[in-house]
Amino acid sequence: MAGERGAIRALAAELAAGRRSAEALVAGSLERARAEGARCNAFVHLRAEAALAEARASDARRRRGEARSALDGIPVAIKDNMVLEGEPTGCASRILEGYVSPFTATAVEKLRAAGAVVIGSTNMDEFAMGSSTEHSSHGPARNPWDASRTPGGSSGGSAAAVAAGIVPAALGSDTGGSIRQPAAFCGVVGIKPTYGRVSRWGLVAFASSLDQIGVLARSASDAALVLEAIAGHDPRDSTSIPQPAPRLGERLDGDVSGLVIGLPREYFVEEGVDPGVLARVREAVTRLERAGAKTREVSLPHTRFAIATYYLIATAEASSNLARFDGVRYGRRAAGARDLAEMYRRTRSEGFGAEVKRRILLGTYVLSAGYYDAYYRKAQQVRTLLRRDFDAAFAACDLIATPTSPETAFRVGARTADPLRMYLSDVYTVSANLAGLPGLSLPCGLAEGLPVGLQLLAPPLEEALLLRAADAFERLAGAPPVPPGAA
Amino acid sequence: MSAAARGFEVVIGLEVHVHLRTRSKLFSPAPVSYGDEPNHAVHPICLALPGVLPVLNARAVELAIRAGLATGCRVHERCVFARKNYFYPDLPKGYQISQYEEPLATGGAIDVPVEEPGGELRTRRVRLTRIHMEEDAGKSIHDPAVAAGATHVDLNRAGVPLLEIVSEPDLRSPAEAAAYLRTLRALLRSIEVSDADLEKGQFRCDANVSLRREGSARLGTRTELKNLNSFRFVEAALEAEIARQAAILEGGGAVAQATLAYDPATRRTRVLRLKENADDYRYFPDPDLVPLVIPAGRIEEVRRQLPELAPRRLERLQAQYALPEREARLLGESRATTEFFEAAAARHGDARGVAKWLVRDVKQVLAERGLELEGSQLRPEALAEVLRLLDAGRITAQGAREVVAVLAERGGDPAALVRERGLEAVSDAGELEAAVDAVLAESAEHVARYRAGEAKVLNFLMGQVMRRTGGKASPGPVRELLARKLGA
Repeated sequence: MAGERGAIRALAAELAAGRRSAEALVAGSLERARAEGARCNAFVHLRAEAALAEARASDARRRRGEARSALDGIPVAIKDNMVLEGEPTGCASRILEGYVSPFTATAVEKLRAAGAVVIGSTNMDEFAMGSSTEHSSHGPARNPWDASRTPGGSSGGSAAAVAAGIVPAALGSDTGGSIRQPAAFCGVVGIKPTYGRVSRWGLVAFASSLDQIGVLARSASDAALVLEAIAGHDPRDSTSIPQPAPRLGERLDGDVSGLVIGLPREYFVEEGVDPGVLARVREAVTRLERAGAKTREVSLPHTRFAIATYYLIATAEASSNLARFDGVRYGRRAAGARDLAEMYRRTRSEGFGAEVKRRILLGTYVLSAGYYDAYYRKAQQVRTLLRRDFDAAFAACDLIATPTSPETAFRVGARTADPLRMYLSDVYTVSANLAGLPGLSLPCGLAEGLPVGLQLLAPPLEEALLLRAADAFERLAGAPPVPPGAA
Repeated sequence: MSAAARGFEVVIGLEVHVHLRTRSKLFSPAPVSYGDEPNHAVHPICLALPGVLPVLNARAVELAIRAGLATGCRVHERCVFARKNYFYPDLPKGYQISQYEEPLATGGAIDVPVEEPGGELRTRRVRLTRIHMEEDAGKSIHDPAVAAGATHVDLNRAGVPLLEIVSEPDLRSPAEAAAYLRTLRALLRSIEVSDADLEKGQFRCDANVSLRREGSARLGTRTELKNLNSFRFVEAALEAEIARQAAILEGGGAVAQATLAYDPATRRTRVLRLKENADDYRYFPDPDLVPLVIPAGRIEEVRRQLPELAPRRLERLQAQYALPEREARLLGESRATTEFFEAAAARHGDARGVAKWLVRDVKQVLAERGLELEGSQLRPEALAEVLRLLDAGRITAQGAREVVAVLAERGGDPAALVRERGLEAVSDAGELEAAVDAVLAESAEHVARYRAGEAKVLNFLMGQVMRRTGGKASPGPVRELLARKLGA
């Protein structure tokens, strides 16, 4: 599958011209998912028969001239924390083993309504808690660029599936960088929309005030196409923004002249950043400048508190959100317990992995009587300050550019013993979640043979601006490299 | 000996949980239903399936605003739902969505009529700390008949909208507590916020109680009594707890802050858990819900549409129809009862007569059949007709009661019922005279006592005539006949 701009439109054109069928396309995706997917452990569940049947239905629609959209018949993947009626949803956790959802997530439903064919669900860090897709009950996912390295996380399976050319686009979720960081590690485009832009109905919650569904794709225009399909107000999600889905595709005209790109002083520090990453990001900004964009330094003074704030709020919400996995109604229940307390203890001890337990414990502590004011309330206050930082910065620029991650894909197992170091690698991404802003990562070259991501952040609801700038960069830089064997 | 007699002042505050009268649950489209098959009135939201989100029921908010206004509270333009976290099998999410730091309404008061032992009425003003919205939990069923050694969970009730109404510690006796609950229940029913049916668990109460030496301004250590689910139960439980605390204090001991349950079998309270073992609920604002913003204009709109409140209705019934307080209170308890009374009175013409019949005879007839006015087949027009027949002497009071009983159970036309059942009063002079003569002939002893000045014997003789005529004799003519013959 080509990594050029507009892979989905190209496929749609082939489908429209009758040169390929959706059935062949989906069959090809399933085949690659079994071969490439097995190598990088990208998928946890494939729905081969259902997907092929849906592809045939799509072909029939197209023959009748009733194709629903450019996505009709296009194979896609969803992350294992999004529910689809009649299919298992496991969040890569033992505690949800065997759970089959009786309803469908809004984003997935909209994707299917547009005609896209979900071929299966992708590997992730358990309950989206992690930056490497190693904390999974299905074993670690691996990076298509180098199988000894992680694809990032927590949407690592979705990023790997797109990078390996299995599907042109996949849904991910981003709570503190879980779409953008794996996009950077795997050399694909990843967009986290404004909080509330895409409904969370049917997304298994990690941290409700931070979670947002987004898209991983090979190009900005593909990401735009999919995001347009899944965005929009949903009365089933009270935090959903009451605005219709944005028109995204039509504004990708390659023009960046006059665009003001802010470079936060606090993010462009040498310390703690891989020099190769910083070099690629600076080159990318220079390329945009040459095309007519302007740059200026901006300041986000509370950045140094972002990681601490994020881990207080995210864990507090998670400790409560994950209380429902108690063995009473669904999922795993420990056998042979003598009383209720033992049933709870054993179910949750056996069902949750170490990282999830660590975060539940931390979050429970943060909310405890006597600590609430010092931790949770304080974190919410800092969150407001971070938001104001961005308000002030965006008064002076249209977009903010930063590295997506301070490093390129690290080796599997390299960080698992040092959770704090793992948390610190989210330094560039968590602020967008805390402030509810849209953010995007796009490939901007390689460092020592591994992809580097450029992160762009925009004011609320300005996804179109992000995608336009990313698309312009793709036009300037040419198609990004693809991993060996995925062309 | 009562606590007061021992020199203690009793201090009570109540927390009432009341189901709001909505069709669906507080955050889910599942129906609110009572007596359904277990786990049938549910939706993925009330089961807390992975991926669900709460959506607030607008009708519940309107009813909550109404309750806040009717109790004189300040209804806030912004309130916040918070999660109360604890593990229990009938709490599907592992947290209850409630309100904590920013409740819907604060600072109201209710005037409670309290009957003194002498029968005199006085008013106790009970201040309300707060009213907030929250969802109910499901039910855990530990019934060996269902499954021995196992607990079953029914989630039909999970998510049903509740108001929690918290009073200040302004009540001074178990009787006052019961009076407060009766007044509050009548108020909530009259504004149609809740059916407040105690049997269905729609009106539940927890009580905080402490004692202090008469004259002391400092509150004593309080204990909390859980799940007091009938008015009689509340009084008995409070009496028991007051006695327990008084005994501790008199023995020189200190009351430990604790949660207790009342056991009606032993008539004692039993400690469930001590304060140091209390749960830490880890409240925090629910990130799945945005703060609830109620524009001031909306609050005023609800205020304008507020139905006539029970206290206002009570005053009006007394003034407009010159009813005694007891009758006005009974007829003003719910809007439906008031409307029934007013319709029947308008039709009949004699409001006081109708009122008397409603609060005594009709009430008794309904109670004997386990019926309530609302929900029975009795219509105000039919009752007016029955009373007209009674006034005209065409039926006796007993006959009227019999007709009302049939009307309550299956409705119908009163005049036709009287004919069908042969309830026409006997006023034929010859027939009545024969009955009177027969009774007098066989009651020589009573006749002698009457003549010796025992006037009330007349009632006994009246009863005998009634028995002989199967209750159909018109009482007026009978009384006249008897008086005439006995006087002769």
